[in-house]
Amino acid sequence: MNRLVKEKVFLISITVLSLLAILPLFHILFSVTVNGLPVLVKGGFGFLTGTLASPGDGLGGIGVAIVGTFVLVFLSSLIGLPIAVVAGIYAAEYPNSAIGRLTKTLLQIMLEFPTILVGLFVMQIIVVPMGNYSALAGALALAIVMMPYVAVSTEEAMKEIPFTYREAAFSLGLTRFKVVFRVLMGMARKGVLTGILIGMAKVAGETAPLLFSAGGASRVYFMGIDKPIGAIPLLIYNLVQQPYKNYHQIAWGAAFVLMLIFLAIFIPIRLKIKEVKI
Amino acid sequence: MRARKSKDRGAKKIETAIETAIETAIETAIETINLNVYYNSNHVIKSVSLQIPENVVFAIMGPSGCGKSTLLRAFNRLIELQENARVEGDIKLYGRSVFEMNPIEVRRQIGTVFQQVNPFPHLSIYENVAMGLKLNKLVKSKDELNRTVEWALKKAALWDEVKDRLNDFASNLSGGQQQRLCIARALALKPEVLLMDEPTANLDPIATEKIEDLIYELKKEYTIIIVTHSPSQAARVADFVAFLYLGKLIEVGPVEKIFENPAENLTEKYLTGRIG
Amino acid sequence: MRDAFSGTFRDTFKVSILPFSALIFGIFLLMLLVYFANSIQIFQKEGIEIYTTNKWIASEDPEKEFYGVLAAIYGSIYSSVIAVVIALPLSISFAVFVIDYAPSKLKEWFIIATDIMAGLPTIIYGIWGAFVLVPFLKDFVMYPIYNHLSFIPFFSFEPLSGYSFLSAGVLLGIMVTPFASSIIREAYRMIPFKYREAVFSIGATRYEATKILLSYIKPAIVAGVILAFGRAIGETVAVSLVVGNTFNIHPSLFAPGYTISSLIANQFGNAFIYEYMVSALFAAGLSLFFVGLAVNLLGMYILRRRVHE
Repeated sequence: MNRLVKEKVFLISITVLSLLAILPLFHILFSVTVNGLPVLVKGGFGFLTGTLASPGDGLGGIGVAIVGTFVLVFLSSLIGLPIAVVAGIYAAEYPNSAIGRLTKTLLQIMLEFPTILVGLFVMQIIVVPMGNYSALAGALALAIVMMPYVAVSTEEAMKEIPFTYREAAFSLGLTRFKVVFRVLMGMARKGVLTGILIGMAKVAGETAPLLFSAGGASRVYFMGIDKPIGAIPLLIYNLVQQPYKNYHQIAWGAAFVLMLIFLAIFIPIRLKIKEVKI
Repeated sequence: MRARKSKDRGAKKIETAIETAIETAIETAIETINLNVYYNSNHVIKSVSLQIPENVVFAIMGPSGCGKSTLLRAFNRLIELQENARVEGDIKLYGRSVFEMNPIEVRRQIGTVFQQVNPFPHLSIYENVAMGLKLNKLVKSKDELNRTVEWALKKAALWDEVKDRLNDFASNLSGGQQQRLCIARALALKPEVLLMDEPTANLDPIATEKIEDLIYELKKEYTIIIVTHSPSQAARVADFVAFLYLGKLIEVGPVEKIFENPAENLTEKYLTGRIG
Repeated sequence: MRDAFSGTFRDTFKVSILPFSALIFGIFLLMLLVYFANSIQIFQKEGIEIYTTNKWIASEDPEKEFYGVLAAIYGSIYSSVIAVVIALPLSISFAVFVIDYAPSKLKEWFIIATDIMAGLPTIIYGIWGAFVLVPFLKDFVMYPIYNHLSFIPFFSFEPLSGYSFLSAGVLLGIMVTPFASSIIREAYRMIPFKYREAVFSIGATRYEATKILLSYIKPAIVAGVILAFGRAIGETVAVSLVVGNTFNIHPSLFAPGYTISSLIANQFGNAFIYEYMVSALFAAGLSLFFVGLAVNLLGMYILRRRVHE
């Protein structure tokens, strides 16, 4: 009897706790939609293209931040992807060497590294010498955040290739360069691409690394890579802390847009593959 | 014979000439000299010395785990992909030590077909054959590439089955077709020697028969070294057989000799199924 | 003997791709260097007191400046501990539920939901936390408890704004649950079938079986908790929007506070007008750097040791 009661309590509590674990997601999706969608509808197309409204003066637009996010993701990919992919290859090709193992460990550490520390670092080495916030600094900070995702997934994708294909490629009298970059990379391309997209989705939503690097902009779309630039997460962060009601509405609208961008990248990838490393 | 020699010096001269002619005609394609292979401290190939004549099918047989595949991979230095492998002794390809050659060059001259049927799954049938040619820059024009791919597929007796679907993924072919594609891939580089590591181990009997027929065809132009764990396959396809047991070369000779009159007790035991 | 791969006497492949790995090491080491170099100034001025005092005196006059980040360290640890305490039962339950009990049709969707949660931009947690979670917790959790149980130190602070250690901890707990759960889930799924069979063959109920099986993957649970703690302690913007950003060392869950990362996020923008504040914040960052490093290494070590067993 006692045993059966325990069993019931156990099953019920485990179900309840599990639902509780994912309940916030639905509440977040719901809240962001309920608060953000009307802003987007009311603001219309201008909300996506316009510049920031003045306090208490309507919705304006978040076009500057949207442009900024795309520019930053593009620039950071340009900086980070080549380094990350090749470093991932290194870790996969030399798994037993000291440097290979160390690279892998370092990448895993960087994967979990507080991103605010990256922002602070970039400020000190780029922003301070240059004298101002810049798209370049923001992109570098995001690149540093992005690299471990891409490198680790590259490494994993390369390691999943059965040894026999490696042998086959070498048996064709190819140099290791060609074996790795022309044959094996082709085979691993799905995994590598997934890592790249996840990395990009991740940095598109990052705020902390940009706080002291990108600087933010809300009225001029793009001033050059050596000048400050906006980003959607950065805009939301700043607006939430303002006392103005219309700024809070804009923040919800921006959050809705950011959520859509994230889900649009993430869900297709996630449905295509089984496991995603976040 | 001695009497004849002393009789006629002229005849002896002719005889020597014939002998030399025979010697050069049956050239040694691959020769191993006191070859040893270790994985870490594990001694897997023990002082193997072998001579493999040109344009024959040479079978290496033995129970699984006897080191056949390792020996085969030593011939074109593919064994060196294993970080913990160490090779001692020498291997000569037409008299030239492979260790003095660029391994890239060795592997171009000694092609390989694997036990695990492994055409590149992300490439088309055409690309699988063309890849080695393109990446090694062995062809000068698109036209030459097309011709060489066609030639290789014909050599591998696959052309008629795939000529209308060259852009299909290789993974859409049957197992036997995939293996012939792998043979075409190796042949495209115009190697002198073809290594085959249990090429039919994962194939059904009909596909196996096709591959074996193909091997018979190919030996006119290539030296084929085939690893097999099946004595009956060795008997069907090979001209010469080497029997390897626990990393040691037990016996080597013409196929009739080995199967009908083995010199070693161990060979006989293996052939009659008492070991292996 | 020439190299097996390149045919040259050196491994040219290795030599050519090594710089890319080296670059990542370089960035990491440069980062460490920058943190040390910039912290030196405040260490020379205050010594260890930067970490052991709770004072924040920003002054135009460098003589009067004094910085102690103890409150932020306290807040980081406090909120992350709350997060882990919340995440632990949720993530274990979720792992067990998804593997053993969820209807097979829904299984994949449950996992997708947690994957989305793990990847969702943290600023979205932040805005939801600030505008939805904090008011909810304040009205339906903090005040009811405070009104009845304020004599207990944990509940002793009147939750005037709702911004508090508890709000930060709950939000962080929600954020790290999917992450901890995925580690535990992986380990739980990997338990060899023979153990499951064995457990049920001795007549265990599902509850008893789960308990036994969970004890089998204890290291993964520990690692999951440690890594989740590491993630929580490093989180910045979501926390900074709900923790209150006040220098405060108070036992109450309902009191506002600071965390190291929110301190940096809040103060660094105007730190350059002071002589020592930049250095003080770098020193705070350095402590986060090492906590992050230690926690992640430890978590990875426990996980890896499991793998090798």
